[in-house]
Amino acid sequence: MDFYLGLAQVIGVHTLLGLSAYCVLLTGQVSLAQAAFFAVGAYVAAILTVIFKWHLFAALGVSAVVSGLTACAVGFPALRVKGLMLVVATLAFGEAVRLFFFNFTYQIQAGELKIGPHGAEGFRQIRYFPEHGWSTFDVLMFIWLMVAIVMACLWWLDQSRAGAVMRAVGEDEVAAHSSGINVTAVKVLAMTIGGVIAGIGGGIFAHYTTHIEHVQFGVILATFAIAYPILGGLSNVFGTLLAVIFIQGFLIEGLRFLGDWRNLLFGALIVLAMNLRPRGFLDAGGVASLKRMLFAGKESSGA
Amino acid sequence: MRTVSVAAAALLAGMMTSVSGGALAQERTVKITGFGAKSGVVRVFGVNSEAAMKAAAEEINKAGGVTLGDDAKAKLSVEFLDDRCNAEEGISVIRRIASSDAFVAVGPTCSNVAESLFGILQKKVGDASDSGLQFPVFADVAAKGGLAAISEWAFRNVPSELEMYKSLFAWLKREHPNLKTIYGGVEKDFAHSNATYGVMKKQAEENGFQLLGTGEWLLNDTNFSTQVREMRRANPEIVAISAHPFTTCGVLREMDRQGVKPKLLIGLTSSSSIETLQGCAKQAEGIIIPTSFAPVTAEAKTAAENVSKQGGSMDLHSAAAYEIMFILKDVIESQKIMAKPDTVQADRNKMRQGLAALKETKGLLGTVGRTNDREAIKPYLYVYAKDGSWQVLHKPSS
Repeated sequence: MDFYLGLAQVIGVHTLLGLSAYCVLLTGQVSLAQAAFFAVGAYVAAILTVIFKWHLFAALGVSAVVSGLTACAVGFPALRVKGLMLVVATLAFGEAVRLFFFNFTYQIQAGELKIGPHGAEGFRQIRYFPEHGWSTFDVLMFIWLMVAIVMACLWWLDQSRAGAVMRAVGEDEVAAHSSGINVTAVKVLAMTIGGVIAGIGGGIFAHYTTHIEHVQFGVILATFAIAYPILGGLSNVFGTLLAVIFIQGFLIEGLRFLGDWRNLLFGALIVLAMNLRPRGFLDAGGVASLKRMLFAGKESSGA
Repeated sequence: MRTVSVAAAALLAGMMTSVSGGALAQERTVKITGFGAKSGVVRVFGVNSEAAMKAAAEEINKAGGVTLGDDAKAKLSVEFLDDRCNAEEGISVIRRIASSDAFVAVGPTCSNVAESLFGILQKKVGDASDSGLQFPVFADVAAKGGLAAISEWAFRNVPSELEMYKSLFAWLKREHPNLKTIYGGVEKDFAHSNATYGVMKKQAEENGFQLLGTGEWLLNDTNFSTQVREMRRANPEIVAISAHPFTTCGVLREMDRQGVKPKLLIGLTSSSSIETLQGCAKQAEGIIIPTSFAPVTAEAKTAAENVSKQGGSMDLHSAAAYEIMFILKDVIESQKIMAKPDTVQADRNKMRQGLAALKETKGLLGTVGRTNDREAIKPYLYVYAKDGSWQVLHKPSS
């Protein structure tokens, strides 16, 4: 049972990472900086709970703010470029952040031990959850509460005028601009919201893995971050969740018994999924069909 | 007719019950699960660990298996799971193993995975306020110093690299008093290589060697021309490389290409393996590495052959996995582990207590000491590459 609870934790945290990229993708931008924001959140939250003994909730709040501000700061210069140039710019930023943590050492003496981030060797003993008696189930509930809150906020955003504006920018930037929309502000806002979500996700990630190091926040994590919403579909937030379940639950954990063949199948199944559902698992057509089915069910039961 | 059918069915059922009962009594199996990297750049370590565990299990089974707490005999079987050298996957794997009837797990390969998964274990046994996982894990490969200190449920059978390099540099100072300068090279993004380079550097300086500089590269790098060019400029007498076989070979080939010929080469413990010789035997000629395994005893030679038959190769890491299986057999028997579904947590506690109580164990090169912080003090020797094989250079008296 503990294994499934642990797996659900992984799915929850990766959903937050995917949702951080979802916001940015809605505005038509492809960002490979989400892993960097995730890293900022992870290190900030871990430093606050381990070195300064803050409560986790406060630490996550600060990590969200710091990541959000970082994303906002990156957003202004980075969003002056578009398309592939933005991918390169955000990738470069992500690597810069990773290399910063690669060299970042800030340790204090705690009894016989030194605690805190130690450059390439990472940051160990981030044991807030077990030291405060949180069971695996408690951690799971907390993670999914955060996921539910973030998904609800993004759902609400999607249904609001702000969401329509973000999608308008994503669909056709020139048309949106000619309609009086401040395109730069919308893009920077999306990047900032993505940074806040990644900061929360990173903060939780640091605490459930208990050890973080620069190598965890590289290009692979950044690729996963944008792969989730692209594979899941951008029609609504649930697509990202479906994609995370598919990748983390099925491809990584479900196929573990295949041993050496798992990695081969991993790539092949993603290619197959993209071919079968080129607009994502949950595209607009799929959502419309689901709605029709649900309404038809209600109508028939009502009749 | 109906009575006959019922009687026949009853007879058949009775026969099946007795057959399966008998079979169960004879074929009781205890599964030991190993885990580590079986994909990616460090894949070979997982492959070797699995082969070593299987070879040891076969040896144990040939000798009659293991005696359980209820005096029943059981055979050992081995399952090995891939964590891809990824901390999150390592945590998932250990949770998966701990959700089964397993009472111990052997692994992981990578120190970064060990850092995370030892962190989710309960730190101090019996601390009710700590909700960490109560499950013993015995590491065979993860070599970064001091990892077992993270949790009292964590144990290691890896050599102390601090002791090995301390001894090696003192020996170098005695045997080669004319050599004064050293240049370092480190695979900076790999926890083990990076931590061990710190040890090498400190020991070199403490023994009076002058460090001329350090070249840094990453585990996945394939081009080392800049680092080697710097090395050539420094013109050191000794080059010490703290990297795994893949980049060690890359650097050695580049040194060969640029004509960098130090008087002495020193390597990382993990590179005293067949992979280094397969990758760059010519360029690695003469490299000196301290290691806790070499086929120098009859037992070690047999073990190496058995591991080879299982599709792996024996080196200091897989030798540790091989030894662990025999240690586990002894603890299962001494602690009277039952290996039944209803005694899982009790068996885990017994296994932990048994492992913590060990003062010494039997290793392939001799007696292995056990420390209070659950680490091993393994006998070691220095090997050097000669004509495509590892030869023993020196066996320290310690």
